[in-house]
Amino acid sequence: MKKSKITKQFAGGLFAAAALAAVQISAAQAADPVKIGVLTPLSGTYTGIGQQVKWGLELAAKEINASGGILGRQVELIYEDSEANPAVAAQKAEKLFQVEKVDFLTGTVNSGATLAVGQVAERNNTLMATTVSFSDAITGAKCSPNVFRVNAPAGMQANALASWLGSAKSKPKTFYLGPDYEMGRSTVAAFKQRAEEKGAESIGEVFAPLGAKDYSQYFGKLRAARPEVLYTSVAGNDTVRLMTQLQEYGLLKKMQIVGASGTITSQNIKAIGDAAEGYVTGVGYSALIDTPENKDFVAKFNATNKADPDLYGADSYGLLYFFKAAAEKAKKIDTDSLRTAMRGVSWMTPQGEKTMRAGDHQAIMPMYAVTVKGGEFNIHSKVEADKAIGPDTCERF
Amino acid sequence: MPDPMVAAEATQGAVSARGAHLSLSRVAIERENDEQRVVGRLAAVFFLAALLFAIYGWLQGDTFFMRLATEALIYAGLALSVDLLLGYGGLLSLGHALFFGLGAYVSALILKDVAPSFWLALAGGTLVGLLAGVVGGIIAIRARGVYFALITFGMAQVVAKIIYNTQELGASDGIIGIPIVPIRLGIADIMSDDPFSFFILVLVIIAAIYVFLSYATRTPYGRVLSAIRVNEGRLPFLGYSPAYTKLGAFVISSMIAGLCGSLYPMLRGFVSPELMYFEVSTNAVIAVVIGGAGTLVGPLYGAMALVFGKSVVGSYTEHHLIVIGVFFMASVIFLPQGFAGFIKDRFIGSQDGRS
Amino acid sequence: MDYLQFVLAPQMLNGLSFGLAVILMALGLTIIFGLLDVINMAHGEFYAIGAYVGFVLLGMGLNFWLVVALVPILMLPLGYITERFLVRRVFHSADRHTLTLLLTLGLSMILMDVLKITFGPNTVKPAIPVSGGIEVFDVFLPAYRMLLIAFGAAVIAAVYILIYRTSIGAIIRAAAFDKDMASSLGVRVSRVYSMTFAVGVALAGLSGILLAPVFSVFPTMGHDFIILAFTVVIVGGMGSIKGAVLAGLLLTQVQAVASLIVSPVWTDPILFGIMVLVLMLRPQGLFGRLGYA
Repeated sequence: MKKSKITKQFAGGLFAAAALAAVQISAAQAADPVKIGVLTPLSGTYTGIGQQVKWGLELAAKEINASGGILGRQVELIYEDSEANPAVAAQKAEKLFQVEKVDFLTGTVNSGATLAVGQVAERNNTLMATTVSFSDAITGAKCSPNVFRVNAPAGMQANALASWLGSAKSKPKTFYLGPDYEMGRSTVAAFKQRAEEKGAESIGEVFAPLGAKDYSQYFGKLRAARPEVLYTSVAGNDTVRLMTQLQEYGLLKKMQIVGASGTITSQNIKAIGDAAEGYVTGVGYSALIDTPENKDFVAKFNATNKADPDLYGADSYGLLYFFKAAAEKAKKIDTDSLRTAMRGVSWMTPQGEKTMRAGDHQAIMPMYAVTVKGGEFNIHSKVEADKAIGPDTCERF
Repeated sequence: MPDPMVAAEATQGAVSARGAHLSLSRVAIERENDEQRVVGRLAAVFFLAALLFAIYGWLQGDTFFMRLATEALIYAGLALSVDLLLGYGGLLSLGHALFFGLGAYVSALILKDVAPSFWLALAGGTLVGLLAGVVGGIIAIRARGVYFALITFGMAQVVAKIIYNTQELGASDGIIGIPIVPIRLGIADIMSDDPFSFFILVLVIIAAIYVFLSYATRTPYGRVLSAIRVNEGRLPFLGYSPAYTKLGAFVISSMIAGLCGSLYPMLRGFVSPELMYFEVSTNAVIAVVIGGAGTLVGPLYGAMALVFGKSVVGSYTEHHLIVIGVFFMASVIFLPQGFAGFIKDRFIGSQDGRS
Repeated sequence: MDYLQFVLAPQMLNGLSFGLAVILMALGLTIIFGLLDVINMAHGEFYAIGAYVGFVLLGMGLNFWLVVALVPILMLPLGYITERFLVRRVFHSADRHTLTLLLTLGLSMILMDVLKITFGPNTVKPAIPVSGGIEVFDVFLPAYRMLLIAFGAAVIAAVYILIYRTSIGAIIRAAAFDKDMASSLGVRVSRVYSMTFAVGVALAGLSGILLAPVFSVFPTMGHDFIILAFTVVIVGGMGSIKGAVLAGLLLTQVQAVASLIVSPVWTDPILFGIMVLVLMLRPQGLFGRLGYA
């Protein structure tokens, strides 16, 4: 009977003590470290992305700490598993803010989690940034004064891709295939609009349920329409199935496949194999960007992790430099000074210089049209930052 | 107050034959009273511990653990509703997150779009639990055992998918921006973002649900429900209708689930389709099994253990699924009566001598 | 006519190749339930394990068809161990249905995480062993899918013959019908149980490797159509092989054709509705139980 009475308080105290001990042990210097909470999927379907986020952040932290830290303080990363579930993410975010007392939070992957955690950040008067979520609403309709984004949202990806399409093909007949849920439909709609502006002729669209196993049932419709270009916004396993089934039915040679930047990524490109050859998309980063900074970054990333960085790894790496730039501009890291400093700050990343737009907390950056050759994302062309960025639709601040 | 022996005997009549087994039912009654005593003590310990925890947390000015405990209590309520069906009716529901999630969504919509009124949101969540329970119950009640489990599972999947695809309900992102709710209780006003007072409020609500269920399962109606688990076929011969009893239990259970669900957005400020997913339903079932099915107090302990356990384990490893899975399987194999069942057996067994 | 040729017929043919794979998985489930009265919620995970084991074997350079033969053989001991050391523990309690359901549920959680730890969270995919296809009446029929149909049918036939035309099958059916009587006639019922569970699991694994080149392999793939498999088993009759085959064909055709008429998102609710209807109107399914049908 005494069991439960003591256990609960004991557990609470034990946990607090353990957390405290962990902080003491991992702090590299006597000076207070800058604590960055990383709330990212370490289990579940999105673990692959969480892995890249972790790698990118750790490399940046190592470099920054080696060169003196941020404002003389070492950077410390504290991890929690968000399980890609907004309910879990909100709870863990609160733990990071309240118990660990992190100065800043990042790492959320799916848009629902970013939005939910953003709300928790507001209530805890701390800032956060996402390096992966691409729902336009995060810096648009549902923007928040405590949420920043350093990666490219769906709108920017579509801009880059449409720009490529306009220059590569003239008035292409385009068919759209998307996953049948709200995000999938809106991604298709966003691209369709931009493609049509560049002269594409939309000849049909079809939406398959998320997790559909067999896309061959849509091929009849696809064949009958005879498109030159097929745009798809499926992701993960769905892409593997779609692409390999397209190949199985001999449809790949007849069409140019283009898609959203999350459609083919380092997480599924191996499984897709040679069915991915020739695929084009618009992204903010590719490991093959030909600048000395990027080559250096890729080499270091590879040495530590035995894998190339992808856009998630690169954007997460750049995030810590964004934070550093803002902290040095403000000379302190309390929330209000940081927020003011972050608005309009510029910082160098492996993919070029990024600037944080003050109006909606969205990073402005150059975009690239990349095409898959030999399992790698080759740069086809570059779209300048000012052309890639869309309008500021955030009205809250 | 009627003579307890007579009253107990009358209610025992639903399960055992009357008259000739008078001495047998007397033993059964005594054992049951012993069990109730043990369960009652466990429950008292639980609520007392929770109260002490709350005071300690308040003194420390803690927010995170209070909120985590509040969330655990909300899930404990869901576990209670699952226990009513599983522990008493023998009906395993693998889709109870449906009612929980619906309650949460309705509550969120009311708080955000209608009025930030605590009572209205609570009522809305309970009401949708009632309606969904009636519809779901009519569909599911015909089936038994695994079929029942599969139907409840399927219902939750289907509705979760519909909500996932509905723009107006936030689609895959869910609904954020639930305002902080002022709760007027006559004697005091609480704000839903105050960790301590909201925890106490939820504790009171869960305690009320517990007391209600505790009482209900001992009424003649509750006895019939238990009888269904023991031997459903015999009931019509005794003049009871299993179908109506099961449906009634299902609806009560879904209402409780909806009520608990309606508390969630007040705590966390958002709702998302994940609240209706299989994982939430399974967690409730795991809490019931580990805590002890059919005891009502067991699921309370089980839910707290599960939520706090996940949080602690999750800080050390991302393989919490394996840890939980192993505990769960071990419980099913070695301790199917759960923690509370084990305590019951221990304490009654040691007083053995009469039965 | 155009519609029939270019849309409906290919659609039904695809439904057929998918249906055969689902039947293989449902067969395992129904045999396990029919004989042991056990609900195996981890069946999807065994399907995934079969696919992963097959993928690893292929990675070692073995021929695809050899791997297809090896995978079920390798799965047999896994199924045997599961039955012998886990399922049997809760087998003799009064709440058997619930307990085995819960037990296998816990097992599925563990297995899924183990798969993720062992193989990583990203998707992998073995190459399609037979590429290309034939054009019949202007419709493209991939060769591998045709082979799937043929192979699947052969395996189903083999299982049927095993259960209904061999003495082993007779023993299994006898143990399902009346285990005490079978036991008193000298049948080692517990051994029969373990073997049968093993066969059921092997069938799931076989289904996994057969579908891997088409549907790819990832840790949560077990959940892809475990629901469909359960629906097939329920509609066909728990424990009935004929039922599993017929219901499998029927339901996958319904799914294939329905997704042409309504938005494909609605096929899940439709199948669910069929399951509910069957449960309400004819709970024993089309054909009833193993020992009885």
